[in-house]
This record gives sequence, structure tokens and C-alpha cells, in this order.
Amino acid sequence: MGNVERCDPTLPTNEMMYYVRRDPALRARWLTDLEGIAREFGLSRAEYEAIRDKDPKRLMDLGVHQYYVPQILRLFFGAAQNSNASAALECYKRAFPEETATAMALQARLEGG
Amino acid sequence: MAELVAAMAMTHSPGLTGWFTRASEEYQRQALGATAEMRRRLEAARPDVLVMFSNDHLLNWSINNVPEYTVGIGEEHVGPADWFDEWLGMEKYRVPGHSALARFIVNEGARRRLAFAYLRAMQFDDGISVPTHYLNPNGRFRLVPVGMNCTVPPIPTPERAYHVGTVLRDVLRAYPGTERVAVIGTGGLSHEPGGPRYFWVDEEFDRWFLELLAKGDHVTLLRECTLERMEAAGSGGTAELLAWFLVLAMTRGPADVLAYMPAIAWRSGTGMVAWNEFAQGA
Repeated sequence: MGNVERCDPTLPTNEMMYYVRRDPALRARWLTDLEGIAREFGLSRAEYEAIRDKDPKRLMDLGVHQYYVPQILRLFFGAAQNSNASAALECYKRAFPEETATAMALQARLEGG
Repeated sequence: MAELVAAMAMTHSPGLTGWFTRASEEYQRQALGATAEMRRRLEAARPDVLVMFSNDHLLNWSINNVPEYTVGIGEEHVGPADWFDEWLGMEKYRVPGHSALARFIVNEGARRRLAFAYLRAMQFDDGISVPTHYLNPNGRFRLVPVGMNCTVPPIPTPERAYHVGTVLRDVLRAYPGTERVAVIGTGGLSHEPGGPRYFWVDEEFDRWFLELLAKGDHVTLLRECTLERMEAAGSGGTAELLAWFLVLAMTRGPADVLAYMPAIAWRSGTGMVAWNEFAQGA
């Protein structure tokens, strides 16, 4: 089955993200007190470190739902005008070099850029 | 009794509003042309209400309790949700709801053995917001949003979505009013939001799927467009086409494929279709 079915709905990060997205106070603390938020939601050290390191592969290997991975990156990089495009892309290039290179080559062929 | 007067489907990728100009000018032209045609057909069909089906991107429910379907029963709908407005590059919009029809779907669905959760104040991500931007920008048509799950295991199958579509078709027609109803599926085509193939689309799958819609070949679609095949064409995103299967079940005959763009820049195979005929029901 596909990647999304590797997610673990019982993983604390997956529950945490629901609340972080809805709560401006939690979002405001993201850059200054990530460790505190992780503690409050019962994240494992491995979950916290994968988030801190902005590592899509480790996040998904732990069972983070794939929707939440770019959203975690948005919490670090912002969303205005898709300003995380290059930052998110860099994170995915590091985590999934082969898949991302294939996609970029395909885009160049389809859209000329 | 209410009447089905239009059936359509379109991609709801956030790139269509949030970073529209990142795609080629040709894709931009095609997307604007196809959505204008959808709007033209909607206006000609004169619906009183749009019943819009889209997956919820884990916005309305926490992952510990995700219903298969959720109906927004409010008298007014406001979007996008705060987390999404910047991402989608959209101002807040307000669309009148149709609480009576929405509550009827919940209750009549239950009588027909289908579970619909409901929310009085539903939040909206790209799934409802992007099609609303293009098809109902002034809130002229009332809206009943129906959210669905296509990403939290167990993911429903296309057969299941098609079955739900047949029941919903009969539920909508059983509504004791004279409403003219347009049904709109949103999501797809191939993409893998947040997955290892986040920046990728499967053009071959998309063209195959759209060709079967253009033939009106429900049998082949149900036999060959399995959940496994959709997941292979982009995990956690291509299965948004379950919303298209819901609408497909309400139609018969060929769909007009209004546009297709394998738009990696928008991070989704992007397509728009409209049907011309409706399935007969109970």
C-alpha cells in the first residue's frame, strides 16, 4: 500500500498537529519553545528531534501523517505566497533525493522549468 | 422533490489560488478557461444549492477520530480557516448554507444505513475553498459541504464511494423541496501531498482515468481504478478522486473533460470535468 498508510494515528505528533494548527498561541511558541510543546503533548525524543531537524523521512518513518510534514515545515518557514516552496523543497531533496530529482526532471520536461 | 441539475468535478490544489502564476502560462490559460466553462454551465443549470464533496485535510477532526463523511449543517459557511488563508492566498469568504438540506442528508442517510457526522461550524481548507473561489466567488449559490476521509487508514475504496454516491443520489432526490441541486466533487488528480513524491504527478494515470470518464465507462473504472492503483499514482492525494466517484455514481454517460494539466508547479495533476446526464435512481 501507499506511503500514507504507513502513518500511525496514535503517534503523539499526529494529535499535536491538530491543536497547533488551530491555536495561534501554540503556533507563536513553535519557534521559541518547541521542546516545551513537545513535552506537553507527550512526544518521544525521536519525534521531537525529527521535527527540530525538519527531516521529512524520519518524520514519516516514525509514523507522522504525510499531510503534517509540509505543515511542520510551514511552521518553521512560513506560508505567505508559498514562501516555503524552496525551503520545503530543500528538506525533501535531502530526505528523498531520488524521488525529488525525478520529479524536478519531469517538471522541466513538462513545463520547461 | 429536489432535482439534480449539474454534476462536475475539479482539482482543488492550493496552487490554483496560492501560487497560480508559478505554472506555465499555458496551464494558467487552460485552468481559467475550464473553470469559466464550469461557471457558465452552473449558471445555465440555475442550481439553488451546491453539494460539494471534498476530503478533509485533517482540519476538522483530530486523527484519533476521523469520520468517513461529515456534513456541514450551518446556515452560513466561512473560510478559509486561519491556518489556510495565507497558504491559499485568499481573503475570507462567506457562503450561505442550506441547513435544512444538510440535516436531511444526515438523518435520511442514517435511515439508509449510512453514517454522516456533522458540524455546525465546519472549517475549510483548500478542498472547499479553491472550488468556491472559482465556481461560487460571490456566494450566489447556497452550499452544503460534505467532507470525507481518504487518507487515514482504513481508506475507503472506490466501490464504497460509488455505493455512497448512489445512496446520496436517492437521498438528495428524496428531499421534500423543489431545490435544484448541483453536485461537485473536488480533489485529485494524481499527487502525493507531503509524501516522498511530493513534487511529482502521474500523467499516465491521470489521462487513463479521464479517458474512462470521457467514455462514461463506470464498469471499467470500478474494476480497474482500485485504491491500490490510485495510491501507486500518488499516495494520500490521488485517492481524493473518491469524491469524483461519489459524483460519478449520480451520473450516466460520458463526461466532458474540460482541461487536463500535469501541473507539478501546482503539485497536482489538475483537471476539470462536467457530466451531462444523471443516473436514474430509486
